[in-house]
Amino acid sequence: MNTLTRRVATAGLLALLLIATVRTATADETCNSPYTARLIKGQEQFLHVWVLGVKGMGDGSDKLVTVDSDPKSKDYGKVIHTVSVGGRGEAHHMGFTDDRRYLWAGRLDDNKIFVFDVGSDPAKPALVRTIDNFESSSGYVGPHTFYATPGRVMIQGLSNSKDHGGVTGIAVYSNAGEFVAKYDMPTGKSAIGTGDGYGYDIGINPAKNVMLTSSFTGWTNYMMDLGTLIKDPEAMKNFGSTMALWDFKAMKPTQVFEVPGAPLEIRWNLAGGADWAITATALTSKLWLIKQDKDGKWQAKAVADIGDPSKIPLPVDISITADGKGLWVNTFMDGKTRYFDMTNPESPKQTYEIVSGKQVNMVSQSWDGKRVYLTSSLLANWDKKGADDEQFLRAYDWDGKQLTRKFELDFYALKLGRAHHMKFSAKPAQVAAADRAR
Amino acid sequence: MPSRSPFAPLLLVGIALSTIPPSRAVDAAAVPSLGLPAARFVAASEAETALGRALFFDRRLSFNGTMSCSMCHVPEQGFASTASRTALGIEGRSLPRNAPTLLNVGWLTRLFHDGRENSLANQAWAPLLHPLEMANPSAGYVLEKIAATPEYGPLFVAAYGDATPSMSRVGTALEAFERSLVAAGSRFDRWFYGAQADALTPQEQAGFRLFTGKARCSSCHLVGKGGTLFTDERYHATGASLRDPDSGAHPVRLAADTATEITDVELAAFVSPTATDLGRFEITLAPEDRFAFRTPGLRNVERTAPYMHDGSLPTLEAVVGFYNAGGGRVPNKSVLIGPLELTAREQAELALFLRTLTSPAVETLPAQVRRTDP
Ligand code: HEC
Ligand code: HEC
Repeated sequence: MNTLTRRVATAGLLALLLIATVRTATADETCNSPYTARLIKGQEQFLHVWVLGVKGMGDGSDKLVTVDSDPKSKDYGKVIHTVSVGGRGEAHHMGFTDDRRYLWAGRLDDNKIFVFDVGSDPAKPALVRTIDNFESSSGYVGPHTFYATPGRVMIQGLSNSKDHGGVTGIAVYSNAGEFVAKYDMPTGKSAIGTGDGYGYDIGINPAKNVMLTSSFTGWTNYMMDLGTLIKDPEAMKNFGSTMALWDFKAMKPTQVFEVPGAPLEIRWNLAGGADWAITATALTSKLWLIKQDKDGKWQAKAVADIGDPSKIPLPVDISITADGKGLWVNTFMDGKTRYFDMTNPESPKQTYEIVSGKQVNMVSQSWDGKRVYLTSSLLANWDKKGADDEQFLRAYDWDGKQLTRKFELDFYALKLGRAHHMKFSAKPAQVAAADRAR
Repeated sequence: MPSRSPFAPLLLVGIALSTIPPSRAVDAAAVPSLGLPAARFVAASEAETALGRALFFDRRLSFNGTMSCSMCHVPEQGFASTASRTALGIEGRSLPRNAPTLLNVGWLTRLFHDGRENSLANQAWAPLLHPLEMANPSAGYVLEKIAATPEYGPLFVAAYGDATPSMSRVGTALEAFERSLVAAGSRFDRWFYGAQADALTPQEQAGFRLFTGKARCSSCHLVGKGGTLFTDERYHATGASLRDPDSGAHPVRLAADTATEITDVELAAFVSPTATDLGRFEITLAPEDRFAFRTPGLRNVERTAPYMHDGSLPTLEAVVGFYNAGGGRVPNKSVLIGPLELTAREQAELALFLRTLTSPAVETLPAQVRRTDP
């Protein structure tokens, strides 16, 4: 019962900390938690890319690669720094602490979490801590989403160490890297709906005190060769088909929505009290809207198809514009980057698409939406093979009508590996100057 | 909270029963070995079994700390892997074969689908060192890791008198634990060996008559008088294989009620070439062994889908359908395999019979072996 008291204490603590000022209640600069300080509203100077090592290429290790993204800099579009963390463990996503001084980067296979100091000198991130007790403290496997809350980092797991299936939960760590508490994803039939225990992303709406979570699949599937997986009917049964709504302060699930086909990234539109969230289902290729109905009850509904779902385009990362009026959607299989007009969230309309690569996964945009960055890798064993296995970072300008390529880095030619998640940074003086200018 | 459970008294009765020697047991269900042939081994000490159990669940014994024996032989999945056709090893490397159950494995004399190993103690080192499985760089590396893990000292002392791990100690401890995974005493056993006439329904009994009669299953999946494993432990080519030359399109389940189809052409960018699995031939190089695999036992088979060496058949109905159609296409198919002309009803009865081979221990063993305190 020790854990219970600890949980109650944590919930209380979280609630208290919540009263701390929320710097922004509008959408993020490429999808950071609303508790993230020092959003970069001007020019992002550096792009940190979390890269998967490839056996036999360079040092074969996962690494944090820093790219100069300031057009005024002499090193614009060049790799200016790398930190190898040793070995391969399925590098995947990253997240800042609320003070934005540290960047936490996770590995979905061996569950290691690397904490980089990006506050002291964002041009040269330094590895300051390796957290290796995620699995032993929580029983969860696959630290996926790193979500800042005041003084804490919430880490959504994808799997568990009992059977490598999809039943998992959220582990909470202090900014100092100490395990604080764990919360299982809802399972089984109850008054709040039927939970399947899967987890993927976290999205918090502080004003409404709600947290949304989504669902993907366990280690066995996300580590499996995608060609083998698609042809394996036993394995294809094991994908999540739910989203859960939580009372954030109490950290209690209050509602489970049925959202078939693995709903992944969650993006809140908090601009001007819009208070809706959007997600894309990977397997069924649909956009789903989560919004309160007239009676204030939260509802989830499918609002648009992404490409031709029967061809499994596999929508992956999505990025919402700061005003909530537009949404970038990458589809991995056909390598397309698509733009949806979200003016009416009940009926999103695709207004633009390009083939941006042989395969494409992550998309990040600047606060003003004028710059868009794409990377190629989804998961080491899901990426295409042979000539289709392009690994890149591509930077574009967006004028509202079309994407114009600014620079490109070939991560294989550079012997770096598979390019995955991106986060922006800028020197504190630059951020302050940009904020003053606004 | 067992103390508040309304079933607590029942649980106690269950435990008490299992300590009664078989001859005096009132309820045959409490005898997990009912129906198994006499064991060829002496039961190991509790200390050795406890050490083996610790090793079996320890993910640190793989190179990157992510795989243990139990990640592929999952207790809740009949000590097999039911979540994929073939097992998945370190860094997600696909193994060419399905992970078999370890229930009653102590009774087998030939191990692996191709029978290449003959002792559990030797076998244990294969996954520890296999580059697709636990991928340790050497035996010494594993032994040094164990020696440097404080929990193991007392366990080795208790089992072997001193704290030094060795290849043979690690092997025999894992063997001791695996031999403790006894799961018979099924409804079939109560009916056939326990003379409990109503333990099987009439349809299930009809299924058994087909199994030993018209369907010819027992010519390879032997049923003996004194107890049975449902295997002759020999090698036969049935033709079961994923690599059907005709398959150009694959149905893909996207969600509970959504499916599509994907062709090999569309999947081309993802597929790495897979070698044909020649089975027993790879060990003997004898032409008659091409595509032959060891006959697996069928106890608890209901819990260990998907089936065959490559997990190519998803359900027991599919297995029965496969045999009824005369097996797969393979050059030197066993003469014992051929079209059976079973009616739909007979096929259903056969599948029903296979489901009577499930031991009650399948439910109780996982919690027993996962408990961490001795
Ligand atoms: C990566 C998955 C994986 C891991 C880890 C693994 N196994 Fe296996 N195991 C398999 C597969 C697949 C087979 C069948 C291989 C074959 O027939 O070639 C198998 C076969 C066996 C067999 C033979 C069973 C039979 O019916 O012949 C035994 C015994 C066994 N494993 C024990 C172990 C032990 C003990 C460990 C830990 C030291 C272990 N396994 C770790 C996948 C695994
Ligand atoms: C010629 C010998 C032979 C006959 C006859 C035979 N089997 Fe088999 N059985 C095998 C072999 C060998 C395998 C393993 C094939 C493989 O791994 O590809 C097998 C596999 C199976 C399996 C899958 C077990 C598992 O764990 O994957 C089932 C179930 C099964 N047989 C049931 C039957 C039934 C029912 C019949 C009668 C209709 C039958 N067998 C007749 C030899 C035989």
